[in-house]
Amino acid sequence: MNTHNFPTLFILFLTLSYISPLISTLESPSPINIWPKPRSFTWTSPHAIPLSPSFTISSPSHRYLTPAVNRYLRQILTTNYTPLTPPKLNLTTPPLQTLTVTVTDLTPPLTHGVNESYTLTIPSNTSIATLIAATPWAAMRGLESFSQLVWASPAQVGAGLVITDWPMFEHRGVVLDTSRNFYPVEDLLRLIGAMSANKLNAFHWHITDSQSFPLGLKSEPELAGKGSYGPGMAYSGDDVERVVEFGLEHGVRIVPEIDMPGHTGSWAEAYPEIVACANMFWWPAGAPWEDRLASEPGTGHLNPLIPKTYDVVKNVIKETTTLFPDTFYHAGADEIVPGCWKADPTIQKHLADNGTLSQVLEIFINNTNPYIVSLNRTVVYWEDVILDAGIKVNPSILSPETTIMQTWNGGPDNTKRLVSAGYRTIVSSSDYYYLDCGHGDFTGNNSAYDQPPGFDQKKGGSWCGPFKTWQLIYNYDITYGLNETEAKLVLGGEVALWSEQADPTVLDSRIWPRASAMAEALWSGNRDETGMKRSAEATDRLSEWIHRMVSRGVKAEPIQPLWCIRNPGMCNTMNPIF
Amino acid sequence: MAATPWAAMRGLESFSQLVWGHPARIAAGLIISDWPLFEHRGVLLDTSRNYFGVEDLLRLIGAMSANKLNVFHWHITDSQSFPLVLKSEPELAAKGSYGPDMLYSAEDVKRVVEFGLEHGVRIIPEIDMPGHTGSWAEAYPEIVACANMFWWPAGAPWEERLAAEPGTGHLNPLIPKTYDVVKNVVKETTTLFPDTFYHGGADEVVPGCWKADPTIQKYLANNGTLSQVLEIFINNTHPYILSLNRTAVYWEDVILDSEIKIDPSILPPETTIMQTWNRGPNNTKLLVSAGYRTIVSSSDFYYLDCGHGDFTGNNSAYDQHPDFEQKKGGSWCGPFKSWQLIYNYDITRGLTEEEAKLVLGGEVALWSEQSDSRVLDSRIWPRASALAEAMWSGNRDENGKKRSADATDRLNEWVNRMVSRGVKAEPIQPL
Repeated sequence: MNTHNFPTLFILFLTLSYISPLISTLESPSPINIWPKPRSFTWTSPHAIPLSPSFTISSPSHRYLTPAVNRYLRQILTTNYTPLTPPKLNLTTPPLQTLTVTVTDLTPPLTHGVNESYTLTIPSNTSIATLIAATPWAAMRGLESFSQLVWASPAQVGAGLVITDWPMFEHRGVVLDTSRNFYPVEDLLRLIGAMSANKLNAFHWHITDSQSFPLGLKSEPELAGKGSYGPGMAYSGDDVERVVEFGLEHGVRIVPEIDMPGHTGSWAEAYPEIVACANMFWWPAGAPWEDRLASEPGTGHLNPLIPKTYDVVKNVIKETTTLFPDTFYHAGADEIVPGCWKADPTIQKHLADNGTLSQVLEIFINNTNPYIVSLNRTVVYWEDVILDAGIKVNPSILSPETTIMQTWNGGPDNTKRLVSAGYRTIVSSSDYYYLDCGHGDFTGNNSAYDQPPGFDQKKGGSWCGPFKTWQLIYNYDITYGLNETEAKLVLGGEVALWSEQADPTVLDSRIWPRASAMAEALWSGNRDETGMKRSAEATDRLSEWIHRMVSRGVKAEPIQPLWCIRNPGMCNTMNPIF
Repeated sequence: MAATPWAAMRGLESFSQLVWGHPARIAAGLIISDWPLFEHRGVLLDTSRNYFGVEDLLRLIGAMSANKLNVFHWHITDSQSFPLVLKSEPELAAKGSYGPDMLYSAEDVKRVVEFGLEHGVRIIPEIDMPGHTGSWAEAYPEIVACANMFWWPAGAPWEERLAAEPGTGHLNPLIPKTYDVVKNVVKETTTLFPDTFYHGGADEVVPGCWKADPTIQKYLANNGTLSQVLEIFINNTHPYILSLNRTAVYWEDVILDSEIKIDPSILPPETTIMQTWNRGPNNTKLLVSAGYRTIVSSSDFYYLDCGHGDFTGNNSAYDQHPDFEQKKGGSWCGPFKSWQLIYNYDITRGLTEEEAKLVLGGEVALWSEQSDSRVLDSRIWPRASALAEAMWSGNRDENGKKRSADATDRLNEWVNRMVSRGVKAEPIQPL
């Protein structure tokens, strides 16, 4: 080579040597992928076969599986979907005529821990694919996987493959707060549909809170009558039934939460007498944080020392368990704020007689927990009920057999505290799984936003900032630091969208694709076969999955410029950026 | 009564906001006298990192008009894609766009420009150069330095990057052919966009990119500097832009970058406007005290994409033991800029009265690495509304006190009305 070309070749060499390591560390990507990535996906010689225009799915008859089958059949026959990176596969014959669904046991209901394992086989040389599923709910998981192997118009499907799949964690959910801002039923259904597509199986519906009470209860009509945002912003019994049925048809459990005794300011519109510190200013000017009356604007805690409280509460619980058949009932119990109860004369008297606020909470729990349990429910509480620094109950009054804890604070530390106390635990650590973080705060008149330019913006006003990116969520190990026995008590996780600054206009983009990140981490994990974190490999698969979700009507937000998936590896960083 | 047709549009918008109810009614017994504090009130949208259909642009312009914003700064091209179809340079979009369904034809541009005029919104095109031009290499590899290279080599310090983010490529000022293409692009862009402002970009010229090019290496070996290379580029393009009866707008980097910049003397303030994005009011002051009219887009306040992590893949920073310090969450300009932060920003802070006169106004900016049509509305609204009021009538009350508290409920109402008009603005509070 002459010296004139040397620099060019040297650059070329440098370029290749920078790019080559990227290629060698990436496994050869599969032509088409399923999100979440299946536990086992064998596709030795990838190719495709056409989907027959008369393709059918044969399946046993089941009240909820049959509508699912019909739904998937319709979706598959009208796919017309082009992946961002269209698979370049040989198309062979014969076309796929039938997917035969076999369910080992049709009887299990949709409950926590139901078997969701399936095996999907699309052979190379016959016209029949088979889905063998443990339960109807497992069949739904397999149908979803099948639907993601179909693309193009006329439709074709990957062939010569075997998928064996089952989840790592049994509880994989999304919390949606429909109290701070309202979401019409259509939005809830779209959310549940998208959850099902991500193999998420628990919709934790945080229905009520201090700001509004949108649940229409026949036994307590005034609660929504006076406490909802308005007649067009309430859920009737029919609405709830629709949501529950839709959930069943999609393999998604609906777990209701009626948060109590805190977060009940909205109950005071109907029953001012049972709510302490209702309609007061949440944090007096100049007062220290410890003297606040609520964690955020909107005061009101149920008063455990007023007998009438339990008349109302029992009606609410009873009817909620009637509306929601799931065996889990979430009773809240987070963020009991001393200042609120201390503002009440009856409670002040109790305190003056050497009582404590923790005792007041205990009275409440003792008067409600057994009742919930008597209705054949497992009660879920937020961690605060036994972990709060100030107001908490003795764990001895909450039996681990009938109580599940949900953690939102302190990352894996609090998970450890809960499981080592023997409680099954759902993980929603705010440092990772709170989807609303990193959006400033919503209070008005906040002078913190008026500082000289150049001030340290820190978290930008969001208590739990910064924004939790999909990579952060994906990489979170919810059993970090737990021993094997403790880890067994971790049921799974839930990402949470608190709605102070969210409503239908942003529902899809706030949740997707970040909930997809958790969905895969909890279904098949966040590591590859060698035990290394695999978010790099997941990136293009997630961009493809976003594209498919968007084609199905879910307005998931993009994670990268389109250029990135077009130029594999080029948007990676080989140096950590933070 | 309006001074001009454009003023009439502002008045019509105000009138429309005084109507409500079913059947409709209108407030009465009132007089409004209104005029803006700042004359340049804009939104920047990047349609290169991700594509936005024409309908999205029209909806954006319509919403801008409703907020009395009057400038759509269209950052059309960048390294990732070149969606602008030019008759004189058809290969640029043919090869550099994301695809045939992700283009802006001349008809599309005409539609956008007309729509803007009907809404009192100017359309200012930006064809970023010489940096941010990786997409040009699909058609013209010979004129783009460091195209299609990995942006930041493993283990290399930040100073040795080839680009500020994935997607490399800078036009090569030492190749004559470059100017053949550039002139065609500039000429046709000015034909498509009649506004008197033409944005020439000139931000983020990265040493590592030009240094990767043999021709430029030769130049450097002969005691040339990269700043001189930039100067050659500016000297060969700026006068041409002016000759087409345009005022050139550049990003502050062209004279303020720490490494590669040109002497202000070659950019006369009469024909050049600067746009600042860095270091808040400090750089505004540097620009106006050098005599330039300035548009403010300080990233600390006005960048709407901040606070959303970063978009690179394989970033091991996201995999640390729990309770690590999350800092800005990966976003270089984090945290998220809330509406209150934007509202309260005083773009003439620290300037003398004379200097302040040179501040034309401000633009919020949505860079699209992690945005596209699904999130366009919620990323921009209502935060651009916060800028809109601060630029139109200020952020203080009659006593000179900041009034964002009072603005809160008014903004809630405005969000509600925008949503009713089909703009998916996000909520700022619980109902």
